[in-house]
Amino acid sequence: MIPSDEETEEQQAWRVLSEAGLVEIRLDEFAERIRDVKRIVTVRLRELLDLNGGTKERESAAYSLGTLKELELKVNAPTPVDPSEM
Amino acid sequence: MKSSAKQLRREAEWPPEEGEVISFECSTGPETAILKQVRWGLVWRDFILVDGRVIPEHRISDCPQPRVWRKISEVTDHEREECEERLLSMARAGMDPRERDQSFWAELTQYLAYTYLRFKQAGSKVQDVER
Repeated sequence: MIPSDEETEEQQAWRVLSEAGLVEIRLDEFAERIRDVKRIVTVRLRELLDLNGGTKERESAAYSLGTLKELELKVNAPTPVDPSEM
Repeated sequence: MKSSAKQLRREAEWPPEEGEVISFECSTGPETAILKQVRWGLVWRDFILVDGRVIPEHRISDCPQPRVWRKISEVTDHEREECEERLLSMARAGMDPRERDQSFWAELTQYLAYTYLRFKQAGSKVQDVER
């Protein structure tokens, strides 16, 4: 077992994503995972607004949040019905 | 000894080439298929099969360790924006992101992973500086 302070950046990323359930997302967990990511972006956006800095990152975070919201709506939409099954 | 020699050979020949048969894990168990293309996503490599399915590298059998992932800082603004546009286009075109191993699912999975790492790391750096 490699101590955490000797983790490579890739190992750390793998661990962080695994803990967040973002390496393999189960289909019934997609909406929840999108909400989790939105939460992280929102926290960062608030930090940037509080610090009144990082205009480019702030705009990019706001755009990411908008993208995630639209994708969340799509994931939460009812599953399309196959016309051949009607 | 034999297995480490096999592993070294595997690493030297990685990733497999177009037309090769690859084994991977899918929701129903192990499977094999023909590889069409290997493509970098925002975080990891995706293996595109001839039948159109997209399998992340970490699900390919015998994938060498440690995994090779991109650093978040390597992804350009342009690349991220293009990915966001593709995702929104697929959503607006009525594609369903819940279709496992399809391109929308694969791209959304990587985008969520990338966005999480990007903003979590940025937040942690601020906290470190403030300490």
